[in-house]
Amino acid sequence: MTNMSAHMEHDQEALFADIGHIPVHDANAPVRRTLGIAFWICVAWLVVIILAAILAPWLPIKDPDENIILRNGERPPYPPSSDFWFGSDQDARDMFSRVIWGARTSLTIGFVAIAFGFLFGGTMGLLSGYFRGRTDGIVSFVFLVLLSFPALILAILITSLLDRSLTTISLVLGVLAVAPVGRVARATTVSFADREFVMASKALGAKHPRILVRELLPNVVIPMSALALLGIGVAIVAEGGLAFLGLSVQEGSTWGKLILFGSGSRVLREAPWISFIPIAVLFLTVLALNFAGDRLRSHFDVKESAL
Amino acid sequence: MRYWLTRLGAAILLLLAVSMLTFGAMNILGDPLFNILGPVARDTSNPRSVELIEQAKAQYHLDDPLPIRYVLWLSDFVRGDFGVQFSEDGQPPVADLITERAPRTLALLIMAQVMAIAVAIPWALWSASRANSTADKVSTVGAFLVIAIPEFALAVIFSYIFGIRLGWFPLTYTADTSLGERFHALLLPAITLAIPICAVYQRLLRTDLITTLQEDFILTARAKGVSRRSILFRHALRPSMFSFVTIVAITSGALIGGALVVENIFIIPGLGRAIVEAILREDFPVVLTIVMIVALAFVLLNLIVDMIYSIIDPRVRR
Amino acid sequence: MSDTGAAARSPAAQRVEDHLGRSRTSTDVALIEVTDLKTHFATERGLVRAVDGVTLTLQRGKSLGVVGESGSGKTILSRSIMGLLPKNAVTSGSVRFAGQEILGLPDKQMRHLWGSEMSMVFQNPLNSLNPVMKIGRQITEPLKLHLDMDRANAEATAVQLLRDVHIPEPERRLKQYPHELSGGMRQRVMIAIALACGPTVLFADEPTTALDVTVQAQILDVINEQRRDRNMSVVLVTHDLGVVAGHTDHVAVMYGGKLVESAPTTTLFADMKMPYTKALMRSIPKLSEPSHTRLAAIPGRPPDLVSPPVGCRFAPRCAHARPRCTQEEPPLVATDDPSHLYACWYPVGSPEWNERDAELSEAGAV
Repeated sequence: MTNMSAHMEHDQEALFADIGHIPVHDANAPVRRTLGIAFWICVAWLVVIILAAILAPWLPIKDPDENIILRNGERPPYPPSSDFWFGSDQDARDMFSRVIWGARTSLTIGFVAIAFGFLFGGTMGLLSGYFRGRTDGIVSFVFLVLLSFPALILAILITSLLDRSLTTISLVLGVLAVAPVGRVARATTVSFADREFVMASKALGAKHPRILVRELLPNVVIPMSALALLGIGVAIVAEGGLAFLGLSVQEGSTWGKLILFGSGSRVLREAPWISFIPIAVLFLTVLALNFAGDRLRSHFDVKESAL
Repeated sequence: MRYWLTRLGAAILLLLAVSMLTFGAMNILGDPLFNILGPVARDTSNPRSVELIEQAKAQYHLDDPLPIRYVLWLSDFVRGDFGVQFSEDGQPPVADLITERAPRTLALLIMAQVMAIAVAIPWALWSASRANSTADKVSTVGAFLVIAIPEFALAVIFSYIFGIRLGWFPLTYTADTSLGERFHALLLPAITLAIPICAVYQRLLRTDLITTLQEDFILTARAKGVSRRSILFRHALRPSMFSFVTIVAITSGALIGGALVVENIFIIPGLGRAIVEAILREDFPVVLTIVMIVALAFVLLNLIVDMIYSIIDPRVRR
Repeated sequence: MSDTGAAARSPAAQRVEDHLGRSRTSTDVALIEVTDLKTHFATERGLVRAVDGVTLTLQRGKSLGVVGESGSGKTILSRSIMGLLPKNAVTSGSVRFAGQEILGLPDKQMRHLWGSEMSMVFQNPLNSLNPVMKIGRQITEPLKLHLDMDRANAEATAVQLLRDVHIPEPERRLKQYPHELSGGMRQRVMIAIALACGPTVLFADEPTTALDVTVQAQILDVINEQRRDRNMSVVLVTHDLGVVAGHTDHVAVMYGGKLVESAPTTTLFADMKMPYTKALMRSIPKLSEPSHTRLAAIPGRPPDLVSPPVGCRFAPRCAHARPRCTQEEPPLVATDDPSHLYACWYPVGSPEWNERDAELSEAGAV
């Protein structure tokens, strides 16, 4: 055999290995590592929404619960105008400020739910992926049970049995997030736990907590940040679903409740903006979260997994 | 064989766990006595009430510890006795409710899945064969946008456009009409459910098809003079279907949640509405039964996915 | 070659068919004529000159070996001749098949030739066969497509094809899947598929590289046997000089996208002119040498095809190079034998080469 192996790794070989197939794309073009302008636009939108939500009490907007009847004698609901940027609802409340105040609750639910899910699910996943064996068996079974409930039914069940406060709803959605997040955390941990740097750490005598915190956690957290963004979007939408079943928070308004309020067939016929504007804001926010999450994910090259 | 037995065992274990959780939650967090008797349950000063209370307690074993009540319930359940609807007058059996409502939900789900798959496959083939062209990029962006819309939002928008403005579909479902009319009433809700999952399916299948098209055996097919069309349909499609099948099955489960929402918006008297009504009335035999049915469906779906896998991929056959 | 009943043949294919019909038994008609073929790819790194001006011919019924390292352009050459290139390939020059110009023809027309007149066998039979399609179907597909056979006929032919390539129990194999067969058998199946419609030329792209050494000879024998039986031409692409030694009539050596030496096989081995070819020969381990003799590998890496070096492309790695080699590119010239071409200023056997060779053996480098 002629000795050609010295040249086997030439990069041209890799280039040509692809040739001749029904082509898609220059498969060896350098993977674009930049996040792109679209990503930053999404981030900008999210920042705007979050800031508006946090600063709501201090912003120069109308009171979301105040019924503001216009003096020209027209009856509510008022379409969008210079008085009401987003129009008003049937009770003459300003939609613009309602949407902002709704953001406060919706976003809070989203963030708390995911934070909870990541805290518990992430930890469980990390531990089960690292220790394997019986821990893994038990945790995986728990995940499986949680996943066997169609999410919404579990949410409905618990919110109906307990109260419907902001805390409860957020925590219920958080519990629902535990299993999907946990599974991804576990898979990611498993893929890292077999790598050399972990073994090296062990060989140096590091104890479990140290390895977990110093070596694995940073590596697992980074790809999962993309999942977090996607998860927040899912949680916000889930809240919307609950609202449509009449099971969202009792106090205050959320985007879901706003949409519901404007969705009766009569209201929809006369004043579609009452429902459509919160829908648009919700849609853009979820889109921004999805896109940003997707971008981050391809940036960190995590394997696909369904939330 | 052994593999399937283990799977079956795991599935049963799972169902038991689900039932325990639900049963426990309802009994601990709710008040079964109140469900059965209403305000009478609180009326302990009235001797007649107390008599009723004792009667109820005996009939439903309410004084026994939770585990025993669970076992009793379970033994009834597996024999098909789902209990009675506490909150309805006359307390008709739960089974009646199920048989009345389930077909509508099932019809909704099946229609949604069929529509989604029927559109997703050609769409995916179309975009995979034009991968990265402008048309494909537009379609990819479109799919991405569609996935971001929540079902309830879509339901609202659609009922506005197609129900109110265009008048093509009725906005509610009436039970006493003909089969055709009932089918028609289910169309818009089914489409609402179908659209987001269709986009998900298409995205996934497109990716898998593109990956498959890079494989060596596609080059072989090309070198045999096989037309592009044939390559797509006969050579590339089948090996790309694995993830597709999995996700269809998984989505069937998620669809149930979506059906819940849609049933409540379009006011379709199916299982989704039934469970919401039951939860609000704390009618837990109904809740328990429906939860168990849904969980059963979930587990069955997973098993079916595994079976289909072994049929599609000859490498996996046992 | 059987008469075809395939519907709607393209005009080009029809002309090919006519020409082949006329030349069915003669062997001195050039089946394939390649003239100054260039295949370039536009990539992000620049224009990759994978094949940069190759001229050769192939007679009916003869076999040509194309030898070179990875990146020499040998695979692209065979695919360019066949026309199986991706969309970002740019070709120039001429490729005539049975007198018909086929370079640059659209896929739609080429599809009438692919699988019927020209076939290709690829390197890795595990990946080159559809894993979820039965073997039988993969073989009958071209039969139904090009020869319009019905199912019964096609299956019977498939069984016969499997017998031709010496696969035991052919009827049973039809119902099996690729992963149920061994590597050697899979490659035979690939050959059977390629031979199905009786092509006039078979391109074999590294057909034995992925196989066990013991199986390699068998596969090459099968190819040769079929070549003789069907009066079919074969283009055997490989990096292994040993493979071409016993199995080809003519050898073309490629380096850096160019043809550097071309000769009838026996002539090549007896009297090679290119230092590159000589270096290749020297790097084959030989039984006659004492054990533990160090393998004489060729140092360095193949040239960058985006910006190839000025002058002879092999010069940077040639132990016998002189200043002129890095300044002027040597043209392809013939020896006394017009069928033996080479491109070198100081070929093997020239005074300069001998001088340098002596210096090197003294230093123990050769």
